[in-house]
Amino acid sequence: MIIFKNVDRTFAGKDTVHALKNINLNIPEGKIFGIIGQSGAGKSTLVRCINMLEKPDRGDIIVDGVLMNNLDAKELRIERKKIGMIFQHFNLLNSRTVFGNIAFPLELAGASKDEIKEKVQNLVSLVGLTDKLNAYPEQLSGGQKQRVGIARALATEPKLLLCDEATSALDPETTTSVLKLLQEINEKLQLTIVIITHEMSVIQEICDKVAVLENGFLQEVGPVIDVFTNPQSVATQRMLQGFLATNYKAQPSEISNTLLRLTFVDKKTHDPIISQMVRAYELDVNILFGRVDQMKETPFGMLLIELSGNHEKKENAITYLRNNGVKVEVLN
Amino acid sequence: MLWDATLETLFMVSSATVLATIIGLPLGILLATTEENHILEQIVLNKALGAIVNLGRSVPFIILMVAIIPFTRKIVGTSIGTTAAIVPLTVAAIPFVARLVEGALKEVDPGVIEAAESMGASPPEIIYKVLIPEALPALVLAVTLTAVNLIGYSAMAGAIGGGGLGDLAIRFGYQRFRGDVMIQTVVILIILVQGIQMVGDKIAHKLYHKN
Repeated sequence: MIIFKNVDRTFAGKDTVHALKNINLNIPEGKIFGIIGQSGAGKSTLVRCINMLEKPDRGDIIVDGVLMNNLDAKELRIERKKIGMIFQHFNLLNSRTVFGNIAFPLELAGASKDEIKEKVQNLVSLVGLTDKLNAYPEQLSGGQKQRVGIARALATEPKLLLCDEATSALDPETTTSVLKLLQEINEKLQLTIVIITHEMSVIQEICDKVAVLENGFLQEVGPVIDVFTNPQSVATQRMLQGFLATNYKAQPSEISNTLLRLTFVDKKTHDPIISQMVRAYELDVNILFGRVDQMKETPFGMLLIELSGNHEKKENAITYLRNNGVKVEVLN
Repeated sequence: MLWDATLETLFMVSSATVLATIIGLPLGILLATTEENHILEQIVLNKALGAIVNLGRSVPFIILMVAIIPFTRKIVGTSIGTTAAIVPLTVAAIPFVARLVEGALKEVDPGVIEAAESMGASPPEIIYKVLIPEALPALVLAVTLTAVNLIGYSAMAGAIGGGGLGDLAIRFGYQRFRGDVMIQTVVILIILVQGIQMVGDKIAHKLYHKN
């Protein structure tokens, strides 16, 4: 759907900022793709390169087969109408009502009055703001404003929705409801969504794939579950610190005990693997730390346990766990 | 006498305000949008326009009025009278309006402009559908301020044969020692200024939808 090929972007000035360094990225169609990084990592520049709000110095950006960086102004405007975008600060027109804001892209597209009326009605019911049609942005809460932003972005039936820190100005509860709406839209309209965020929880809740960006470099890309459970880059590991407590430090109560970190993914979290292991190998298990999270729809659990018993039995138990699809790390 | 002078002042001020807005508004739009990183970035043009506007604003009105007499004559055929006074009043107000419009448009949130760009809006569409509507309250206040300023200028125009309240105050109130006329004209001027400001504020407030 979106391909980045060797994309570079620098900002000249007193201190030249190299915002994007040789970015190669492939964003698949129909998925929710997250791009995470701290502020200043270059993620806002990256997402703006997709619709050419920022032009790359070097490299190609291809959206749905169209080479974006070679378009003239008029062609670019046509392509932009096929890409929706929502913003951290909503960027609604204060002089227009909810209706007027959602109608805006339709006016640009040259839709007739009746067409606009019908489409806006459908969109406000999609985002749950039917009763706010004639309200001005000043009369809306942050979450409602973002819903208007989403409706406006969807008005021209784009195939792609870009979200630039769309939930960063919202409280946790509102964030969850806006994310839920985005997920619904993704499923209902088969829309590709690209989400830029600095919040791990946003990636965890709705993204299918994630790219980690730091200092303008792409650190790693992969399915969320893989990146979160088995981070390859130092940057990802640092970002995950504390978030999933994967680096929880524990000491075995006795030196002869074996300290294990077990990671369960998906169905494995439902099986009584530990108790089966205890019965089969006659071991004592002490749970030091445990946590179960959910990555979009996939449950994901982590346990820190210590095993006491004879060496052979412990080895067998570890093999048993591995054979049952549990990721086992021996920590001592 | 007082009524006629008031009508003359109103005629001069309203005509000059309308004309100055018609010319100053596009100039202000050009000043704002040709700036660096704006939708019609044209840095050389921007600097040149800015210099011309500054030049216009740095000439004191009383000197400008006299200096452009040949130009006034060319346009209205005479340099004396109420109609003739409209020319220098308009010329003086154009750069003033342009700067106020520029300032009002620059107050529009760049995020909103970016959003419009992301939706594929062209520069003219951004000007007509985003910049002007979003800045409308500020634009109304800019026109109000221009009108109030022009009342002051029109009194000066009166001093050199433009007619209106300024003319009346000088010829009767000052030169003929008619203190009562002087006070009456001043009171009418105050009422005019207050009235214009009040109407402008009311309209701007009605249009204001920003939190």
